Formats: sequence, structure tokens, C-alpha cells
Amino acid sequence: MKKRYYIVMLRILAPVLAIVLSALISSAVILAIGKSPLQVFYTIFKFSLSRLDSIAIILYNATPLIFSGLAVSIGFRMGLFNIGVEGQYLIGAFFAALAGFAIKGLPVFVHLPLVILCGALGGMLWSFIPIYLKVKRGVHEVISTIMLNYISYSLIHYLIADVFLDRSQKLVEGLGGILTRTPKLPPSALMPKLHVFLGLFGIQLPRHVYLNWFFPLGLLMAYLIYYLLMHTPFGFEIRSVGQNPEAARTAGIKPERVYMAGFLLSGAVAGLVGLSDLLSYFGYMDLDFPRNYGFDGIAVALIGQNNPLGIVLSAILFGFLKRGAEGIQTQLNVPMDTIVILQAVMIMSIVVITKVMNDYIKRLERKESVICSSQNSSLPA
Amino acid sequence: MFLAELLASSLRMAVPILLTALGAVFTERAGVVNIGLEGMMIAGSFMGALGSYYYGPYFGLLLAMIAGLFMALIHAVNTVTFRVDQIVSGVAINILAYGGCRFLSLAIFKMATTSPRVSGLPKIDIPGLNIGFLKPLVSGVSPVIILALLLVPVSSFIINRTVFGLRLRSVGENPLAADTLGIDVFKMKYAGVLISGALAGLSGAYLALEHTGMYVEGMTQGKGFIALAAMIFGNWEPVGALWASLLFGFSEALSFRVVEGGAIPYQFIKMIPYVLTLAVLTGVVKKSTAPAADGVPYERGLK
Repeated sequence: MKKRYYIVMLRILAPVLAIVLSALISSAVILAIGKSPLQVFYTIFKFSLSRLDSIAIILYNATPLIFSGLAVSIGFRMGLFNIGVEGQYLIGAFFAALAGFAIKGLPVFVHLPLVILCGALGGMLWSFIPIYLKVKRGVHEVISTIMLNYISYSLIHYLIADVFLDRSQKLVEGLGGILTRTPKLPPSALMPKLHVFLGLFGIQLPRHVYLNWFFPLGLLMAYLIYYLLMHTPFGFEIRSVGQNPEAARTAGIKPERVYMAGFLLSGAVAGLVGLSDLLSYFGYMDLDFPRNYGFDGIAVALIGQNNPLGIVLSAILFGFLKRGAEGIQTQLNVPMDTIVILQAVMIMSIVVITKVMNDYIKRLERKESVICSSQNSSLPA
Repeated sequence: MFLAELLASSLRMAVPILLTALGAVFTERAGVVNIGLEGMMIAGSFMGALGSYYYGPYFGLLLAMIAGLFMALIHAVNTVTFRVDQIVSGVAINILAYGGCRFLSLAIFKMATTSPRVSGLPKIDIPGLNIGFLKPLVSGVSPVIILALLLVPVSSFIINRTVFGLRLRSVGENPLAADTLGIDVFKMKYAGVLISGALAGLSGAYLALEHTGMYVEGMTQGKGFIALAAMIFGNWEPVGALWASLLFGFSEALSFRVVEGGAIPYQFIKMIPYVLTLAVLTGVVKKSTAPAADGVPYERGLK
């Protein structure tokens, strides 16, 4: 019993160690360009945590990462690697935008859920291609999702710039042209901010903060996925296929069916990644729509150990780092890409540390079983 | 004349895919999947431009290969020594290369996404064949193209006809048996991964120095992944990788010429290499055979 606590402690310790190790390695990078790592980390903390609105911005930054971390983790739980979250959320965001600007005159409580649903549907459709190719044709999902990411970039570009370009815009002063973007979404399709709700508790947020209801929705989604994985038959199937597909097959579970349903679920969650930005910040989709949330989600899922609560925490950590990165670039002139390096090193250190720890735990268990069996064999004598 | 131009252009587009695909053959034959090749190409393109900017193109090529080797070393330590998931490590390598190059570019060139113009290697005219029809194919050829083409039979010879190649293949097929025979499994896997890193670095440098004349962020455009597909299409053989790379190069060269026509929106033209990759994998994947222990980490003393 005592050892189980010990193992749980090691599991929690692993991400902490990984974060410390990556901070050390990033320090070397910062030193290499002649800046002081201490000053950089101090600025990150001071810039991010000194004001209330800054904390709200961190949570806003974390919102898409919660969804993308969850989407990636559903794949990981089945033993599949969904690198395609990147493309899936772009397509999802476009579907949502389309449902937003194409339909008019609906009340908000019908329109907004419809828009969100369309986002999930878009992500799901884009995830269908790789999982179909995997189940039916044996194409590895990693390469196919990467190819589909590139295809989605071009497709979105075409849809925004050619098909659904908003030609009714006024000319931009000095630019002499119009912005390459879709028509604006009507207010009935937009997600309200959390300001009014937080105001009830006496928390006043300034207008330049875009924290919205997608954040609590992300928390809810994390709980739902936790419940699905841990307390439903389908969640059990997902986990058993992830542990050992052949053993699962022997037990009467069809891995192909689980792959298909689980990957579509992952795609549907991925379809929601971009909606916080689309429905509260932009209100339209343009060529500068944020990229890379899908790749960030891989780091978030790994640091969160594919555990929904862990994913929420690591998404907030990355939201915090993103906020701090703006601080070090504007105040210290250190490139904000330091954070990207930090992220890559974090992925590597978390997998290495987890691996070493698991080997250590395995050795502990083996040693114990050896002792037990030697005791057993000595019993009859 | 048009046909010769098209072929010459196909060859130029195929070379970066070919170099990386040859590297991929080495690493996968040793049983290590290297999805970080894209990142190693990115590192190669940036470091190649950096080296050429300060000390000329030869130094640039060298620096690019060293950068590729360095990234490959990280991948090898992760996957061979620590036996972590090879795909996860590769993805981290790609993110590291993307962030690292932006970081260095901003710190050195004061621009995150491009370098100043840099010089490439002197171009070569192949003598004797310089007659009418063949002219675009043999005049003004980059030495790296010739090197890449020479590397195809060389790699094929190394993998299929030398002791080193035999050991490399045995490690990828059955590491336990190889270990029993006294082959240093870990050393062979390191060798495979490092060769792939050096070749991917060279391929990145080709893009920056020979093809574009500068480093531009995102200039690899997924060629590292396409190279993996080319290797699978080529059935894990250097000569097969050559034909597959030429096919991908041809599709890209053709797409430039279709753009000039203007009949199809250029965003769809840009998709062609990726759609082709998907199509090729869909059609071919069940017929080709990967090394038996490809992607499986080797652990000593496992029951």
C-alpha cells in the first residue's frame, strides 16, 4: 500500500522535474545570447502575475490549449498519435465561422450552440480521412495527419481568399484594398465574455481582456472526458486498446472500431480549439488566424500525462509562459521564441524522465516479486 | 526544349527529398523511425545560410551537416539510449528546430523569418553533353545535385554489400539476434540516426544555398515528411527512394507550370505534393515491407 503512494508521488514528480530541467536548459540558451536567465524568469513571473487582468489573459491563453491537449490525449490513450489537431481545428473554426455568417436571424441560444456544433463537426470530418485510411488501408496516422495539415492550410486560404471573401468591407485607409477575411459573424453567434459573471463577485476586468465562457466550457469538457475514460464501457475500451490492441481483441473488443470512434471524438474536440479566438476575439476568420495550437497541444498532453486534470494545469502553465514571453520580448528584448525552445525541451525531458521512472518502478516491482517468490519457495522446506 | 526544362526542374525539386529520403533509409534500416528529419532539414537550411553568410558556401554546407548531426544525436540519445517513443521525440525535434531557428535568426540576423542573401557553390557545366536538347539538364548544375545522385549507388552499395550495411540491417530486422552475435546494437542504431541527420542537414543547406539563395522560415514545406513517404514508396531501398523522389519532384515542377496557366487556383496546386503523398501511401503501404523491428526500441535483458 505504501509503495502505491510512492509510485503516485513519482508520477507527480515527473512533470515537475521535467519543467525544472527544461528551465535549466533554456537558461543556457538565454546565456548564449548574453542575457541573464534570472532576469528573464523574474520578468516572466512579474509580467504575468502582478495584475489581475494579466491572470485573466493567462486563462484566455490556456483556453484553446485545454481543448487541443484533450484532443491529443484521447489519441494517446488509444495508442494513436493525432498530430492532425492543427488542421482539424482550422477546418473546425472555418465550419463554425460559416455557420456563423451564413445563417442570420436566429436567437443566440439557438445560433451559438449550432455554431459550436459545426466547429466540432468540421474537426470530426477532417479527422475522418486519416483514421479511415489507417483502419482500411493501413496508412500510418502520423504521416497522413501531417499531410492533411498542409492541405488544410491551402484549403482554408482558398476558402477565405476566394470563395467566402467579404467583399462588402469598406476600403482600409492607406492600404488601398480590403482585408482577406470572411464576413463578420452576427452578435448571436459570438461567445459572451466572462466579465458580467465575474462582476457579480466584485472582479472587474478591463475591456482588452477576452476571457470568455469557453474557459469554463473547457473545464467541463475535461471533466466529461475524464468521466468517459474512467467510468464508461467505451472509455474502458479506449484504454484497453491503448494498452494492448491484441489483448483487447482477444477480449472481444474490435480495435478498428475503437480507433474509428475514438479518433472522431478526438477530432470533434479538436474542432473546438479555435472557437475561443474566433467567437470572442476576431469575430471573423482571416489569414492571420492563430496557428500552432495543435502542436502546442502535444506538449500540453504530454506534460499533463494524458490526465484531464493534468492537461488543464499544463494548459494554464503554457498560457502563463505565452503571457510571460510577450513580457521578455517587449521588456528585455529576448526573442519570445525562447518559449518554443522551452516547450520542445519540456516534451523531451518529460518523456525521458517518465521512461526512466517507469523502468525504476518496474525494477522495484520485479525485485519485490523475486523476494516474494524466494520466500514462497523456502516455505515448504 | 520544354520537356528538358521540366526534367531539369524536376531534378532540382527532387534533390532535397532524395537526400533526406536516403537518410531515412539508413535510420529506418537500423530500426529507428525519424520523423524529426523535417526539423533537421530546417536546422540545416538555417545553419547553411548562416555559415555561408560568414565563411562561404563550403563552410555553410559543413555547418548544416553538423547541425543535422547534432539534432540527430539528440534523437538518438532519446530513442536509443532512453528508448522513449520515437514519434514523440521526432515531433519535439521539429518544434525545437522551428523555435531554435526563429530564436537564432532574430538574435543574429535581427529578422525572425529570413536571412540576407547568401552565396551558393559555383555551378558546374557537365562537358561533352552540352548539345541542344540536353542543355538545360547539364549546364549550370549544382554540385550538390551530382553528389546526391552519386550517393544513391553509394548508399545502395553500403547497405546491401558491406559488413556495416549487413549489421545495420540485422539490427533493424532482429536486434536480439544481432546482439547475440556480438553486434553492438546501440552503436549501429546511433550510426543510422546520425547518417540520416547529416544527410537531412545537407538537404536543408541545398534548399537555402543552391535553390533559393537565402534562408526563409518554413522553406522546407514538409519535405522531410514527404521524404519519409518517398522512402516507404521506394520500399526502404536507396534506388527506390530515387524514383519516388523524382516522382515528387516532377509533381512540384509540373505544378509551377500549371500555375502560370492560371486555370486552377494556386492553393490547389500547392496541395499537389501532399495529396500525392497521401495517394501514394494509400496505394502502396500494404505492398511494401518495413524492417521487422522498425520503430521498436531495443532493450537488453528483456524477458
